[in-house]
Amino acid sequence: MTSRRTFLAGMLAAGALPTPTWAEAGDPAFLSAARAPDGAYRLCGLDARGQVLFQQPLPARGHAAAAHPTRPEAVAFARRPGTFALVVDCRSGRIAARLDSPEGRHFYGHGAFSDDGALLFTPENDYEAGQGVIGVWDVASGYSRVDEVPSGGVGPHDILRLPDGSFVVANGGIETHPDAGRAKLNLPVMRPNLTYMSAAGSIRSQMELPEEMHLNSIRHLALSDDGLVAFAMQWQGDEYEAPALLGLHREGQEPLLAMAEGPMHDAMQGYAGSVAMDAAGTRAAISSPRGGLVQIFDTATGELVEQVAEADACGLSCGAGGFVITSGIGHVIGYDTGSGRSDWQAASEMQWDNHLVRIG
Amino acid sequence: MRHTLRTALIPLAFVLMPPGAGQAGEFDATVTDVVENHILPRFDALAGTSEALDAAALADCTPGPALQEAWGAAFDAWISASHLRFGPTEADNRAFSLAFWPDSRGATPKALSALIADSDPAVESAEDFAQVSIAAQGFYALEYMLYDDQFAEMGTPAYRCALIRAMTGDIERTTLAIATDWHETWAGYLLPPPSGPYRDEEEVLGELFGALSQGLQFTSDTRLGRPMGTFDRPRATRAEARRSGRSLRHVELSLAALRDLAERLSGDDAELRAQVDEGFQTAQDLAAGLDDPVFAGVDDPSGRLRVEILQQAVDHIRQQEAANVGARLGVSAGFNALDGD
Repeated sequence: MTSRRTFLAGMLAAGALPTPTWAEAGDPAFLSAARAPDGAYRLCGLDARGQVLFQQPLPARGHAAAAHPTRPEAVAFARRPGTFALVVDCRSGRIAARLDSPEGRHFYGHGAFSDDGALLFTPENDYEAGQGVIGVWDVASGYSRVDEVPSGGVGPHDILRLPDGSFVVANGGIETHPDAGRAKLNLPVMRPNLTYMSAAGSIRSQMELPEEMHLNSIRHLALSDDGLVAFAMQWQGDEYEAPALLGLHREGQEPLLAMAEGPMHDAMQGYAGSVAMDAAGTRAAISSPRGGLVQIFDTATGELVEQVAEADACGLSCGAGGFVITSGIGHVIGYDTGSGRSDWQAASEMQWDNHLVRIG
Repeated sequence: MRHTLRTALIPLAFVLMPPGAGQAGEFDATVTDVVENHILPRFDALAGTSEALDAAALADCTPGPALQEAWGAAFDAWISASHLRFGPTEADNRAFSLAFWPDSRGATPKALSALIADSDPAVESAEDFAQVSIAAQGFYALEYMLYDDQFAEMGTPAYRCALIRAMTGDIERTTLAIATDWHETWAGYLLPPPSGPYRDEEEVLGELFGALSQGLQFTSDTRLGRPMGTFDRPRATRAEARRSGRSLRHVELSLAALRDLAERLSGDDAELRAQVDEGFQTAQDLAAGLDDPVFAGVDDPSGRLRVEILQQAVDHIRQQEAANVGARLGVSAGFNALDGD
């Protein structure tokens, strides 16, 4: 990954380093929300081997976070239907800004910055209309709300920036309303999709799965360096009829669906909690905390190639040699897809929440 | 494809970790009792009955009463151990190679038909047979060969015989490998003081409690829930091992095994143990009175209701008695597993 770090190294050499930088925050490799032993919620920065570098209190349960491309700043989102997001200065732990979703909107727990770091895009629920929107926030003015665009569907959950600076949004398809908590209001007619939008937020194209898969909520996204999108799904129908929970897609092409055989697929219990792709883009992993299982697929053939048994595993990210896995019982595991073993493990008192967000 | 698909047992790598703080050993007696009197005897029984199954097939591979009886005894032993899905059962996909079920897409009959149609020579060697689709291995695949008319006439008698023997030989080797690993390695990890993948007593107790909790869930959701389907669309043909009439039997065997585990995990807490016994007895009485060996009754509302009442009794154990066992041990279900997003 060419990266922010190489880039910064170049800048350093040139004596033109802008301040502040991620290095000042101890150069965390990952961010994750967690529940601490005292029951309080935190946003944690982890190093490349799973050690906690910093932790910041959150007012309620977090979900995922978005790391600013250059500034040592992360936006930690409340779990849906939360209405807050906190901009955390990862050097000091100070809350640099707070975002409150506008009246009639709530966050879904994910977000993405624009290529230049000037704008933040947040999937939100316009719950009176039952439609998804993407909120646009201006970073320089202290994260002020500047715009809002349609997400192209219902229940936009995750958003990622593609290598060309445009975005892909996972519209999960499920309508909810804060008055009904997390209750699903439209299952019979739900239609999830992947929506590709320009850097400015206009919808460019959409991918829908066949009608018989309309109960497969497209929920989380991962990306290879060359723009292959992995999408993870959560099946809302009969668990024993659950179709594939992982798809691979390039804009304008047919998706490749990936699933294991028979009971090995059933072991995922119709639910993928997170998705990640390895650095080379040859392997995609999905986690099932319910099944205590991570399944790793070949992105070219869609075949299951490895699985990792780990209780309450959910958070997944790309890591050196393969994947990094976090669990609700405090494990952080560096899994090497070459050797089929874990390279390293770290244990923590933290119960790691659903997602492990890679920085850089 | 057992040997190309790798299942990583991540805990192995935890060997390298420094020992955790959990030397308290409050539950030493409980763990020792479960390992020595619940786990090891079950895998010994599985290996022993599987050896007898292979011997029976070698003596006479005809799908008649003798072979069916030997298969039934080994299958009983598997069902009675099948909640212990960690460690040795998970290496090399052993558990799935013994038990490829549920098979929602009919992979097992397809894989068997393909082997027979091609007269696939993989049945001639143990190494080659271990490489065929795992859908064609194990107890559920063997059930098709022993009970399904479709397979009784397929191919030649000689090929069917070779296939059956390949399956029983594979079962014997797999169950022996599981039992050996348990004795030589994994029992030592669990027994006090915790070692190997287990950093402390809490992780050991979490593993054992997880087996109880997931075992109850599998019996409720899968053994009972699959044939129940929905009220509008019951699915009797999805019942487990219905060709041999063993669907309800598996529920009863699993309840007996899980009751034994729950009792042992209750330790010397007499009140908890009495609750556990009462909860299981209620479910076991309902199962014994069901008189519907393959849940064919789910097709009509009153028959389905009776299966549903049994399912509720199993769920009640999970929500009440098993939860109290977890509370005694200080462990509970996962953070992410309970409440995803």
